[in-house]
Amino acid sequence: MREIEQVWTLSNAPEPADAARTYFVQVDQSKCESCGECENWCGTGAIQPADGKNGPRTVVDPAACLNCGQCLYHCPFGAIYEGVSFVDQIEAALADPDTVVVAMPAPAIRYGLGEPFGLEPGAYVGGKMFATLRKLGFNYVWDNEMTADVTILEEGAELVKRIKKEIDKPLPQFTSCCPAWIKFVETFYPDLRDNLSTCKSPIGMLGPLAKTYGAEKTHVEPAKIFTVSIMPCVAKKFEGLRPELSDSGFRDIDATITTRDLAYMIKKAGIDFNSLPDEKADPVLGDSTGAATIFCATGGVMEAALRFAYETVSGKTLKDVNLTAVRGDKNIRAADVPIPGGPTVKVAIVYGMDQAKVVCDEVRAGKSPYHFIEVMNCPSGCVNGGGQPLPPGTRMADKSPLEKLRFALRRAFNSRATV
Amino acid sequence: MSITRLTRRQFLKAAGATTAFAATGLSFARSAYAAASDYLQKRIAAIYKQDAAMPLRKSQDNPMVKALYKEFLERPNSHFAHHLLHTHYEDRSDGVKKLKAKGVKLKV
Repeated sequence: MREIEQVWTLSNAPEPADAARTYFVQVDQSKCESCGECENWCGTGAIQPADGKNGPRTVVDPAACLNCGQCLYHCPFGAIYEGVSFVDQIEAALADPDTVVVAMPAPAIRYGLGEPFGLEPGAYVGGKMFATLRKLGFNYVWDNEMTADVTILEEGAELVKRIKKEIDKPLPQFTSCCPAWIKFVETFYPDLRDNLSTCKSPIGMLGPLAKTYGAEKTHVEPAKIFTVSIMPCVAKKFEGLRPELSDSGFRDIDATITTRDLAYMIKKAGIDFNSLPDEKADPVLGDSTGAATIFCATGGVMEAALRFAYETVSGKTLKDVNLTAVRGDKNIRAADVPIPGGPTVKVAIVYGMDQAKVVCDEVRAGKSPYHFIEVMNCPSGCVNGGGQPLPPGTRMADKSPLEKLRFALRRAFNSRATV
Repeated sequence: MSITRLTRRQFLKAAGATTAFAATGLSFARSAYAAASDYLQKRIAAIYKQDAAMPLRKSQDNPMVKALYKEFLERPNSHFAHHLLHTHYEDRSDGVKKLKAKGVKLKV
């Protein structure tokens, strides 16, 4: 066990076949103060008192856990640890001259990575992120934002086919970027799997493209490539291990780390992050757009898809790309988007599995009026994912006196003796 | 009865009653409350600021994406694109069915 940016982590890198039975997050019951805060963030109820009363909490079973990590991200006592880390495997790959190591950073990394280095929340560090990955020794830095754009083309084309009934798949179409949401559907609403877009997530696409198109363009033997998915997300560690993600002929994703894991590696390597110059991603799989970078905010995937659908269906140029109707911070939102020469597209945007449940029940009952629904697990989207640097003031020691009082009361209530 | 003369159980009961409303109220509002927090507002604002600053803002305008389709994937949803970029989903309901049969209560 080692502490990675305030989160204790096991050095455990499971095989794909064992991923479904692995605890990606678990409670250290000796540290749990039974305040119950974790339960408020858990979408499924997987985290609950181990004694069935009010004692220390536990994740009851990997089958019920979406691996999102929101519980450990908000635990005031640092009692919840990560069960999987690929840091050692990546360091070994970086040290091996025969391995070509590819970094694939998600959009949200560049809006969170500055915080462990003392920068203000929201500091944009995209340029320094590319520079630091090269400093760490990655041979290629390919941008996950590139395949966010590819996702829009693939998922947009799929949606048009569903609306025109060219494929035998139901409406509404659900987005498929969020690995906690995917596991939620597979576990609790398996009858709605056909509503999920068949598109892999952006990182699910970049892995195989790196080992096929990327390998071809850079004249590297695909067998030598080691792909590293860098995510604001604990659940992406599970996604990277999905046995079916091997369409390149190899493991599409060899290792997955979080923003916190990356910050840990940068500090361990002694890199002075703040003095790094701004650099760019590498050619072939490195270009990005505004549509791709907003993927990490709630409503962002929807806005990017609409920027594409509008032009593709109408044949006209979308003059104002700021589709503010789908932005916002409410956990469930809806909009009607008229497209010239096409239908009025009815869309909904959801975050949090409590709201996702409402939407799924509506779809199951055949009462959903929507064409396309974006769902993300974490509040406000990936930028607030369970793999990001912890929110300021998460731990008890960092809380204000009022918050400390509130938690003392909650702790008294949620750990009360049961008669 | 003064507070100093309460038994431990009585105290917990009183504390429980006074905090019950706050605790359950907060349980429902946690994710909505998160959106209002300062750090998150700043992270979100940074995303849209960067979007506005990007020279290209639509996925279909990405030059490397255009080259990828021209040289490799042909077109969105092509047979090859389906092979590499699309997937299928499993039915994982068995595990939670077993848990529920054992009496474990979940939210879903």
